[in-house]
Amino acid sequence: MIGTIFLVIALAFSIMALVMYYLSFRGYKNTLNYARISYHGMVMLIIAASTMLWYTLLTHQYQFKYVFSYSNNSLDTGFLLASFWGGQEGSFMLWLLLTSIIGIILQSYTSKRKDLEPQVMIVFTLTTAFLLVMVSPWFKNPFEYIWATPMFLDLKSINTLYLELPFLQSFFFTDNNSGAGFIQMNAELHGLLAGSGISVNQFIVDGRGLNPQLLNFWMQIHPPILFTGFAMSTVPFAFALSALIKNNYKDWVKQAFPWLLAGMGILGLGVMLGGYWAYEMLGWGGYWAWDPVENSSLIPWIIGVAAIHTMLVQRKTQSKGGIGKFAKTNLILCILTYILVLYSSFLTRSGVLGDASVHSFVDPGNIVYFFLLLFMGTFLIMGFGAIAYRWKSLIDDTRIEEGLLSRELALFTAAVVLIASAVIILVGTSAPIFGQSVDTFFYDEMHIPLAIIIGLLNGLSLLIKWKNTKGEDLLKKSLPFLGVTFVITFLIVIFGGIDRIIIVLLTLSTVFVLVVNSEVAFKIVKGNKKMLGAYVAHIGIALFILGVIGSSVYSQQVDVNLVKNETKTAFGYEMTFTGWTPIDNNTKYSFNIDIKKGNSEYLVKPVMYVSDFNNSLMRIPAILNLLTQDLYISPNGYDEGKKSTSNSGETISLQKGSSTNFDGSTITFEKFNLGEGTMTAMQEGIDFQMGAILVIKKDGEVEKTELLRKQINGNIEFTSYSSKEFDLRIDLVNLSASNIEISISKISEVKADQHSEAQEILYVSASIKPFISFVWIGVAVMVFGFFIALARRLPESMSKSK
Amino acid sequence: MKNKYIFGGFIIVIFLSLMVYLFTQSNIQYQDDFSQVMNTTKTVKATGSWVKEKSYDLNRKNKTFTFFMVDDNGNEMKVIYNGTIPNNFESAASVVVTGKYVNGYFHAKDILTKCPSKYEDEQVKTSTM
Repeated sequence: MIGTIFLVIALAFSIMALVMYYLSFRGYKNTLNYARISYHGMVMLIIAASTMLWYTLLTHQYQFKYVFSYSNNSLDTGFLLASFWGGQEGSFMLWLLLTSIIGIILQSYTSKRKDLEPQVMIVFTLTTAFLLVMVSPWFKNPFEYIWATPMFLDLKSINTLYLELPFLQSFFFTDNNSGAGFIQMNAELHGLLAGSGISVNQFIVDGRGLNPQLLNFWMQIHPPILFTGFAMSTVPFAFALSALIKNNYKDWVKQAFPWLLAGMGILGLGVMLGGYWAYEMLGWGGYWAWDPVENSSLIPWIIGVAAIHTMLVQRKTQSKGGIGKFAKTNLILCILTYILVLYSSFLTRSGVLGDASVHSFVDPGNIVYFFLLLFMGTFLIMGFGAIAYRWKSLIDDTRIEEGLLSRELALFTAAVVLIASAVIILVGTSAPIFGQSVDTFFYDEMHIPLAIIIGLLNGLSLLIKWKNTKGEDLLKKSLPFLGVTFVITFLIVIFGGIDRIIIVLLTLSTVFVLVVNSEVAFKIVKGNKKMLGAYVAHIGIALFILGVIGSSVYSQQVDVNLVKNETKTAFGYEMTFTGWTPIDNNTKYSFNIDIKKGNSEYLVKPVMYVSDFNNSLMRIPAILNLLTQDLYISPNGYDEGKKSTSNSGETISLQKGSSTNFDGSTITFEKFNLGEGTMTAMQEGIDFQMGAILVIKKDGEVEKTELLRKQINGNIEFTSYSSKEFDLRIDLVNLSASNIEISISKISEVKADQHSEAQEILYVSASIKPFISFVWIGVAVMVFGFFIALARRLPESMSKSK
Repeated sequence: MKNKYIFGGFIIVIFLSLMVYLFTQSNIQYQDDFSQVMNTTKTVKATGSWVKEKSYDLNRKNKTFTFFMVDDNGNEMKVIYNGTIPNNFESAASVVVTGKYVNGYFHAKDILTKCPSKYEDEQVKTSTM
C-alpha cells in the first residue's frame, strides 16, 4: 500500500515539475526552484517505491500479487533482487527508476547552461510522467494486492494449517485435466480470512517463482543494462526537442553527443548479453534468432548508431559557422531512437506478438495496449510535428559542397545503410501485427550485402579526407591496404574452405575494415589515445562479423546417442558419457561427459531437470569453450535402460481413454485397475501391484489385456504382452497417476535386435561453432570503443556555450 | 543538386523492391484454421493447441517427435518434428508450429510453445468445484 502511495505522489510531483518547468520556460522567475524540488521529490519517491518493492520481495510478502507471481522461498538473494524485473509491472518500474535517476544528472548538467534546463526538462519529465501513469494503480501497479482480481493459487502455496477452515471449502477448485487442486483467492476470501484474524501473508506461504528460463546468472545483469540503454536514449530525444523549441540547432548536437555515445554503448552491451544468455541457456545453439523481442531492442540501437555518424558531420561542419550539415537528419534520428524504444516496449508488452515470440508477455489487458499506443503516439506527434513546424528554419546553411569522395558523404552513406538495416528489421518484426511473418532468411539475405557495403565504406572513409579527396590520391593510398586485405582474405578462404562467393566478398570487406582501422589505431596509439574510439569500435565490428561468419555459416551439428561408458566420436572429439550426478539439493541432474581430443581432456556437464514451475523437462546445454571454436552439447533426453524395454526405442505415453495406432492395430488404454487394498498397501510401503487395461483392435478382432506394475520387495517390475496373431509386443515402461508409457514393437523384429543387457543412454545434439568467441570479443571491443569516444566527447560537451 | 535526388530516389526504389521481393519469398502466414493448413503446400505457422488426450510419441531411432494438434473448430492434425520435445512442452497451452502439411502429416521445422500463467487460470475456470 505504501508503495502505491509513493508512486501516486510521485506522479503528482512529476506533473508539478512539468507545470513549473513550463512556467519557467514562459519566463516566470521564481518557478524554477519549485520545478527542481518537484523533480527531485519525484525521484526520491520512485527510489523509495523501488526499495519497497525489493523489500517486499526479500521478505516474501505474498499478499502482493507481483511478489507471489514472480518469486518464491527457494530463490537466493541475487535472484530475489532480480525478480524485481521478472514481470511486466516490475520492468516498467526498472525503466522508470533508471530514467528518473538519469534525469538528475541531466538536470544538473542543463542547469549550468542558461535557459537550457526548462526546455530539456519539460520533455524529460513528460516521459517520466508517462511511465508513472503506467505503474499507477490504474495500470501495471507492482503493489497490487493478490485479492484485487480473482486468482487461482496452487495448493502447495497455501499454509496447511488453514486448509481445514470451514469457509475455505467453497473456494476449492479442481482442474479436471490434471487433477490438481487450487484455491481461488479473491476479495471475498480475503474478507473471510481477515474476519478470522488470519493475514494473507500467513495464509500463503510460498510464491509461484520465476520461470526456470529466467533462472540464469544473466537475469541479474542483462535487464538493468538494457534498460539503462533505453533510459539514456531519452536524453538525446529531449535535447532534440529542446533545440526545436528554441529554434537553435547548433549546441544540442555537442551536448547530446556524449549521452548518445554512452547510451548506445550500454544498449549494445545489453543486446549482446541477451544473445549470450540465449546461447548459454536456451539450447537452440545460437545467440540470435531474429526473435521479435531481440529485434525490437536492436532497431533503436541501429538508428542511434546512424545518428552518431551524421552528428559527427554536423559537429565537424559547424566549425565553418552555421548549424552544420544534416541538421534535419540528426533531429529525426535522435527522435526516432527514442520512439523506437517506445515501439519496442509496445511490441513486447502489448501482447500484439502473442504468437510470435518466446519472450512476449501475454494478455496485458486492452487498456495497457491503448495506453502504450498513446504513449508512443504522443511523442511521435510531438517530435515530428515540431520538425514539420520548424522545417523552413532547418534549411542547410552550410554553403560548402563536398565532392563524391569526401568523408562527410561517406559518413552519411553509412547512416543510410544503417537505416536500411533498421527498416528491414522493422518490417520483418512488425509483420506479425498484420498476421504475417517472415522466415529468418529474410533478415540474413538482406543483411549480407549491407554488411559488405558497410565494410567497404568504413575502410574507404578512413582513407579519404574531410571535404574532398582526389581519385588518384585515394588509389595510391589504398593500394597497400588492399594488398594486405587480399592476402589475408585469400588465406582465410583457403584455410577456412569458404566456397560461397557472397561470403568471400563479406570476408574481404570485413578484413579490409580490420586492416585499415588497425593501421590507423596503431598510428594513434603513440599519439592522443582519446582519438582511438571510432577505430576501436570498427575493429570490434569487424571481429564481430568474422565471428558471425564462422559460427553461423560454418557451424555443424550432429545427434549422438551416448551409451554409458561407450566412446563415440563427433567432429574429432571422443565423447564418453560416464553417468549422472544430482545437483542443487537433488532437484537437477548433471550428466557427465568426458571429452577427449588429442592429449587434452575435458569434462562437460549438460543439465536436465523437471521444473516445479511448469512441470516441464528443462534442458541446459554445456559449452566447451576452446580458443578457435566452441563445442556445444545440448541434451535431448535420457534413457535409464530398464531391462524389460525392447530396443525398438519407441516409447508412447497414453492417458486414460486415449489410443494410439501401430502397424494397423489400434491400442486403447481403457482404464487403470487398482485392486482392493492397493492404496493402503502403497501408503504402508508393502508389496502391491497396479494394472492398466488395454484394448487391442486389428482387422475387426478385439482383444483385452492387462499390463501390470508390480512392486516386490521394493523392486519395480513391469509386465509385457505379446501376440503372434497380431505380430505385436507391448512392454509397459512406466505407470503413473495420470498416464502410462508403453513401448510397442513387432514380434518379428524384436527378436532380431533384442539385447538382454540394460543400457543407459544419453541423447545429445553436439555442434561446433568456429570462432564464436569473436562474436563476444568483437562486441566487447566495440563497446570499449564507444567509451573511448565518450572520454573524448564528454569534456567537449562540458565547455559552456557562449 | 537535382541529380543527387534522382540518384537517391533510384537507390531507394531498388532497395525497396528488393525488400518487397524477399519479403514475399520468405513470408509465412499465421493460420489458425487447420482445414486451410491441409489444403496448402506453402509453409505456414499453424496455431492451435496440443491434444493432451492423444498420445505423443518420441522416436529415438528416427529422432522424431510426434503429437496431435487441434484448432478452435476441432480440426485435428498429426505433427511430426525432427528433434526432441521442446522445453516447456508438457505444460504448453498453445502451440505454434512452422512447417507444411504433406502426405497426411504436418512436418514442423520449428515448435513454439506458450505456457503463460494467465492461461492456467482460464483452464481452471472451466472445471467444476
